[in-house]
Amino acid sequence: MADTGLVTLYHWEPNANSGKPMLTLFEKGVAFDSHYLDLLSFDQHKPDYLAVNPLGTIPAMTHGDRVLTESTAIMEYVDEAFPGPRLMPADPVDTWRVRWWMKFMDQWLAPSFSMIGWSVFVGPSVRQRDPAELDAAIERIPLPERRLAWRKAISGSFSPEEMAESKRRVALGIGLLEEALGQREWLGSDGYSLADINGFNLAYALPLSQPHLSNDEMTPNIMRWLRAIYARPATKACWAMGRTDMAKRVTILESEPA
Amino acid sequence: MTSILYHGEPNGPSLTVLAAAFEKQVDLALERIDLVAGDRHGVRVPHAMEIDQSIEGEGPVLVVDGTAMADSVFIACYLDDVGTGPALRPTDPYARWQMMAWCRYVVERLAPAASYLGLHAAPPAVIPQGIASVDLAERWREAVERRFDEAKLADSRAKVAQATDKIEAQLADHRDWLMGGFTIADLETYAWLAGMPTLVPEAFADKPLTHGWLARVKAHPSVARALSLAATAAPETVWAPGPEINRWG
Repeated sequence: MADTGLVTLYHWEPNANSGKPMLTLFEKGVAFDSHYLDLLSFDQHKPDYLAVNPLGTIPAMTHGDRVLTESTAIMEYVDEAFPGPRLMPADPVDTWRVRWWMKFMDQWLAPSFSMIGWSVFVGPSVRQRDPAELDAAIERIPLPERRLAWRKAISGSFSPEEMAESKRRVALGIGLLEEALGQREWLGSDGYSLADINGFNLAYALPLSQPHLSNDEMTPNIMRWLRAIYARPATKACWAMGRTDMAKRVTILESEPA
Repeated sequence: MTSILYHGEPNGPSLTVLAAAFEKQVDLALERIDLVAGDRHGVRVPHAMEIDQSIEGEGPVLVVDGTAMADSVFIACYLDDVGTGPALRPTDPYARWQMMAWCRYVVERLAPAASYLGLHAAPPAVIPQGIASVDLAERWREAVERRFDEAKLADSRAKVAQATDKIEAQLADHRDWLMGGFTIADLETYAWLAGMPTLVPEAFADKPLTHGWLARVKAHPSVARALSLAATAAPETVWAPGPEINRWG
């Protein structure tokens, strides 16, 4: 198979895109060299990392001399290239559903969560720094669309319409997740899969970040699902790698069901 | 039970899935629907959540044992799993990662741009009734009312040019297909790009390898068979709203 060498993962916190390959590696029992990048210090746009991934996006993974980017595609690679429990269903229709959910979260729901997250967390965290230094940091970002996103986050210039649309999508997405998890034990099929790993990285802090939309009364299936994923040893080991209060939000899942 | 494929004109995602089914020799009942008239939102097509909320927009729907599936790349992966024809994905995990990452780029960057430019050239006449997705309904409204944004049009042309740059570079070693063997990446990329030479000719200037590849894909038997199902003379000019342009830019 493709087990051709050491694995190094370049990542930020166990959260969102960085957490997806991290948790997948833990679930598969693959040892990896962790290379932490501080997103808020723009480590991902510095020469050392650009030599690994010229696009300056995180996460990236190297496996021997192979370089991989795109977190969801990396998860599928890790599942296929290494021994350990299969994290994709055996049934082809279930496999389709796992991919459907990952795309829906990656490209529709997560960007809405992150627009809210960036406006309330990332923007304010970096805004007080020296403007000239920030400007220089943004100019180093290779992808024009990421430069634009950082400028918007730092200046707080998401329009009220954009924020309202993101909030609409978050509320609708939570409803769709709750409905799906009412039909099946896990998100994509009857077995734990990459869709759950992906979804947990998006939703683990929901009861803290959206308490009016997600709690034991309103979304019992989401809460059951999040607690079940948090109970897994791989999840505990993965979130222990967090260095900031962001990752510590996961402890909300230690609460007893209401 | 025979699976049913509801498909539009062989352009965009409908072309990908039709050609994938022919390539893999999967026996499907083909049900033509008029995507531009909004048939996907009517009573003929099942209304599962995954269909109504598919972010691909007006793509085909495959119904297998009561499960309705949307999103052309993933339907093509399903057909690759169940069909008997030649493999449409590499078997090596790294080569497979390259193909999936390529398709993600096409779906996220090229497809919204092509769809926007296609709709601008040929906007639909009427907004269909019964669109469940609020943001898809808004894309229909913008197209029918011809509210196209100049900055988005310019950015979409730039995205098409980026895609042809990427293809030309990928073909630099004079390979026949994008990933080496013929894969879903060839289908999905061709399906969104087929209508672009007329709309963004500058993106295809001085790209001889891309021209050769476009001609090879078009002539490939499964693609030619899908194109032969066209009800119009130029299926690559028929557009219904596709995926949205990334809200982050």
